[in-house]
Amino acid sequence: MSSPSDVEPTGVIHDLGYRPYGGPRLGERAVAWAFFKTGLRNTYGLGRSGRSKVLPMGLLGLILLPALILVGVLVQARNILGLDQQIVAYSTYPLTTQLLISVFVASQAPALISRDLRFRTITLYLARPMRRTTYVLVRLASLGVATFLLIGAPLLLLYVGGLLADLPIGRETGRFLGAVVGTVLLAACLSGLAALVAALTVRRGLAVAGVIVVLLVSYTVVATIQGISYEAGSPTVGEVAGLFSPYTLTNGVQVFLFDSPAATRTPPSSDGMGLVYVAATLLTVLGAAGALLARYRTVHP
Amino acid sequence: MTTIQIDHASRWFRNVVAVNDITMTIGPGVTGLLGPNGAGKSTLIALMSGFLAPSAGTVTLDGEPLWRNEKVYRKIGLVPEREALFDYLTGRQFVVANAELHGLPDPGAAAQRALALIEMTDAQDRTISTYSKGMKQRVKMASALVHDPAVLLLDEPFNGMDPRQRIHLMELLRGMGAEGRTVLFSSHILEEVEQVARQIEVVVAGRHAASGDFGAIRRLMTDRPNRFVLRTSDDRALASALLADASVRGARLRSEGGIELEASDFGRFSEVLPRLAREHGIRLHEVTPTDESLESVFAYLVSA
Amino acid sequence: MISRTIVRLGVRSVFGRWRGVLLLVLPLVLVAVAVLVRALVGEEPLAAQNTLEALGLVVIVPLVALLATSGLLAPEIDDGSVSYLLAKPISRYTIVLSKLVVAAVCVVLFAAVPLLVAGLVMLTSSPSLGVGFAVGSVAGGLAYCAVFALFSVMTRHAVVVGLVYLLIWEGLLGGLLDGVRWLSITRWSEAIIGELADVALVEDLPLLYAVIATVVVLVAGTWLTGRRLRAFNLTGDE
Repeated sequence: MSSPSDVEPTGVIHDLGYRPYGGPRLGERAVAWAFFKTGLRNTYGLGRSGRSKVLPMGLLGLILLPALILVGVLVQARNILGLDQQIVAYSTYPLTTQLLISVFVASQAPALISRDLRFRTITLYLARPMRRTTYVLVRLASLGVATFLLIGAPLLLLYVGGLLADLPIGRETGRFLGAVVGTVLLAACLSGLAALVAALTVRRGLAVAGVIVVLLVSYTVVATIQGISYEAGSPTVGEVAGLFSPYTLTNGVQVFLFDSPAATRTPPSSDGMGLVYVAATLLTVLGAAGALLARYRTVHP
Repeated sequence: MTTIQIDHASRWFRNVVAVNDITMTIGPGVTGLLGPNGAGKSTLIALMSGFLAPSAGTVTLDGEPLWRNEKVYRKIGLVPEREALFDYLTGRQFVVANAELHGLPDPGAAAQRALALIEMTDAQDRTISTYSKGMKQRVKMASALVHDPAVLLLDEPFNGMDPRQRIHLMELLRGMGAEGRTVLFSSHILEEVEQVARQIEVVVAGRHAASGDFGAIRRLMTDRPNRFVLRTSDDRALASALLADASVRGARLRSEGGIELEASDFGRFSEVLPRLAREHGIRLHEVTPTDESLESVFAYLVSA
Repeated sequence: MISRTIVRLGVRSVFGRWRGVLLLVLPLVLVAVAVLVRALVGEEPLAAQNTLEALGLVVIVPLVALLATSGLLAPEIDDGSVSYLLAKPISRYTIVLSKLVVAAVCVVLFAAVPLLVAGLVMLTSSPSLGVGFAVGSVAGGLAYCAVFALFSVMTRHAVVVGLVYLLIWEGLLGGLLDGVRWLSITRWSEAIIGELADVALVEDLPLLYAVIATVVVLVAGTWLTGRRLRAFNLTGDE
């Protein structure tokens, strides 16, 4: 392009009528709420591509299926089989289906947590009114609520089925509510641990493997030790071992607080041990959240 | 004398046609592959480097097909666009590894030669994760040159380079071309291509839009008239004033208001328009070029 | 057929920070549990067998194989740096075999040897249990590596697919449906172990079938992975 040779260069800034946004701005609370909702929807693939819905929705279907069958058997064959309570207790069901729960948490935690760190979109989030701690806690809450829904849905199904089968309402409701508390604790523990692992091992494949290693290996180790210590006649070892897997830990808390049927060989047998279980649960949840916050403190936008 | 022959090659991904019936010959010397973003340049380079099979047509190097043919990589050096490298290695270890994978008899010496060529000898013992973007690009070049290939394919090599690195790379490519190697690089910036390549291939929306000497195509593009739409406070007065200037080829008053203008010398016109508007006290509400983008330039070439 | 350079690169990439930690943690946990079991019940054959099977063979061996194999192929494919390996005049099968050699060494170091140690810790008087589990785990681990290598070149979600395969096919269905044993790598390993250690981990699965099936999966998985790499699509942009 030829440059003009007969005009001296001048500069001028034109007023194009640009106006910044002057309307109302919602505060951090609204931002956090919207962020929470989006995170929750994303764990089930809503608001993302079709392929990301397959695994979580599939797992949800798979975890509801046995509950559906159990309800069917209960309602239809209650009198024939002489059943007067749930075939699989509310507190036992999550342990039976723990593989599905673990896979869910292992595959969704990286999607929520690792992606932002890996691709540095976290800098976009931190440049907004939402504070760093709010970001972390909201992400954790999204994952926790999503896990809670996964674990709780079949329990709700069992409860409704139990009511349909004319099981005593008062007793069932009490047991169900106890199981809901247990579910809250289990979801909190699982999501805390999974989020921590996902935030540390930023690559997605490694994060998934890491979460599974932590959850699966801990449960297998604990179950093995509990079985052997039970057979060997020293159940205390098994009770202590039960502290080291979220599944056995929350099951033990339910046994202690609500007298639920135990799903492990060596549930806490004394009040002291029961209190240790409760304390350990709180320690896990708060410790994971604290470690997560500490990890995010070193993230530089 | 190694030539890449692309013969009626097309490549589609489901219902997106990335490369549409392109025929071209890339011979010795530096060739620039030019086109706007999304034109299919990367796809074309992937076809030429054996990482993609054409859905139709053939892509050959001296008559040999490139797809599923590992032996052909003796002759090809590839500098991919993506930044990822083996971060945990040092620059030297990376180039030596590449030399070893090529089966060179003395990988260390070849690596030293390549590193000296791209002037990375003082940083060669630092890990690649500590390198800047320009340094990573140069290490990629060293890994592509270590086996002395006859063909060099570079995908957007000037992306993110600062002016000094750009000059250095341009000199390097010119040198390679002068040695008789077949060098092809892609870019969407005219000026970059202009300074290095004599021969350019223009690709727009997957189609081969122009090819040949850079100077000739450039002249074609400046000869074309620029079209603008103006909305002013007094269309007729401004139009008649503009028509008096030599740089304006034609003006038409639109029924819905506004002037459709054809200018032939953009440089002169861009200075004339505001001056005339000010002299006649006419306010310019909107000046919209209707074919400013590179794409419309190339579209013009395609239709011509 | 094996490229020393790729083996060297593979060793460096497998032991990147967290992956290396996880690979070390698994055998340590196994041995620690073995020590605990020995302390609790002394030399109890059934306890030893259950521990080695439930924790070692079913959980640790496949996870080591998954961690090692996915760490060798998936990250390079994901960020495109595999193009530096592919744009070379070496056979794709050489690339796959070299990486699998590294994975195999990981399986031996982090699964087989710990199983041997754990078996000896729990049942020192009859070492055949530890030896049997070690050999069986090598067979199963190698077969898993071949399968996970194939997953790594076929999908970007290799780890999740591998996990779903492990947990649902080998885990859930393998425990529920007996017929699955004909097509389950873990069951084949158990047949091999049963023969070597004179225990009965799986019913009615001929040793010859188990060995041949393992070899077939290993060879077929490797060959298919190499074939897939020959026709590997790598475009410039994402």
